Amino acid sequence: MHRYPRWPIHLALLAAGILMLIPFYWVLKTSVSGENIFSFPPSIVPEAPHLFYYVDVWYYIPFARYFLNSVAVSAIAVAANVVLNAMAGYALTRGFAGKSAVLMLFLSCMMVPFQATIIPAYLITGRLGLLDSYLGLALPQCSTIVCIFVFKASFEAVPQSLIDAARIDGLSEWGIIWRMMIPLAKAAVATNVILSFIWSWNNFLWPLIVTRSADMQTLPLGLARFLSYQENTTGALYAFCIMVLAPGILLFLLAQKEFIQGLTSGAIKA
Amino acid sequence: MIDAEMSRPLWHRLLANRFTVVLVSIALVIAIWNLYVSLHDHGVVEGRVVDSDGRPVDSATVTLWVLNFTTYVEKTHAITDADGGFVIRGNDSHNIQIGAEKPGVGRAPRIPVRLYFKGQDVSLAAPLVLTGG
Repeated sequence: MHRYPRWPIHLALLAAGILMLIPFYWVLKTSVSGENIFSFPPSIVPEAPHLFYYVDVWYYIPFARYFLNSVAVSAIAVAANVVLNAMAGYALTRGFAGKSAVLMLFLSCMMVPFQATIIPAYLITGRLGLLDSYLGLALPQCSTIVCIFVFKASFEAVPQSLIDAARIDGLSEWGIIWRMMIPLAKAAVATNVILSFIWSWNNFLWPLIVTRSADMQTLPLGLARFLSYQENTTGALYAFCIMVLAPGILLFLLAQKEFIQGLTSGAIKA
Repeated sequence: MIDAEMSRPLWHRLLANRFTVVLVSIALVIAIWNLYVSLHDHGVVEGRVVDSDGRPVDSATVTLWVLNFTTYVEKTHAITDADGGFVIRGNDSHNIQIGAEKPGVGRAPRIPVRLYFKGQDVSLAAPLVLTGG
């Protein structure tokens, strides 16, 4: 069946995979050993590993509060992304006047860095009275253009005859989106969930600007605060990194199959 | 395969999927951990004090230091009984040090004790050894 043996490809991929996992392993190893990153010779296996650095992180800063804030903000961002992007993606699969201009506008906006729009974003959020609130923290990430295009690509793969049949059966446009398109676009939903969650979870700049009180800070801000508190914190710092990374990695591992499908749908035409 | 999936009842599909199973498992572990913590957070530190020959030392003063963010501060004392045993109550830290002293017998250097939660009940595995008396 295969003209060439596959093992060299697998071997190369395995080597590349290990190479990419080394930094993660190093963070994990340091979080349980506290070994200074500059120590020489470096030890591959941690000596006398323990979990006390994780305990330190838990008690040095209000980790639970930061975690709750990050979860709340990410939940809003994820829900808004799925709802708004699905609507926008569906609209872009329909024909309407100025569709090409809208698509061009979207593509152009992707090239504008967030830092360039941060002042108007701040002013708008302030006018809405949403500074220092969960909704205000999530607002700029409630819809992302990349995710709109993921939905658009996924919806375009649905045969037009199916949509016509649904319309003849009396389903409204809303019904078509939520009762037909979304169940057929699970991969796009998973991609939206993962991307919006990770972007929101790791966001540092916007929460730094929008939050006023310490109680509203998210985990990336907590990490910066933690660094300012402590000096000799190699182990605890890496433990904090693991605690911040873990939810994103877990979500990715849970939904990776749909995530990859969502990213590649529309990449090839059947 | 999709047909087989859809043929299962809704409650089964909602409960028996990897998202629900993983989240429920994590919630279960957290609940069990919190139950364990609530049963073992009385702040009791137990141990023994012996001299350099391994004999129990009575009436030695055992001191508890707790981490005050950056430095260790003295928290409380206990006196050993005839068997050299001591019980310190009221520890509310997760990062402590224990030391012992008896004039004429010697002094045991502070030993660091790391705990998994504040006020964890702990029994020291090795006795404090008084030397240099």
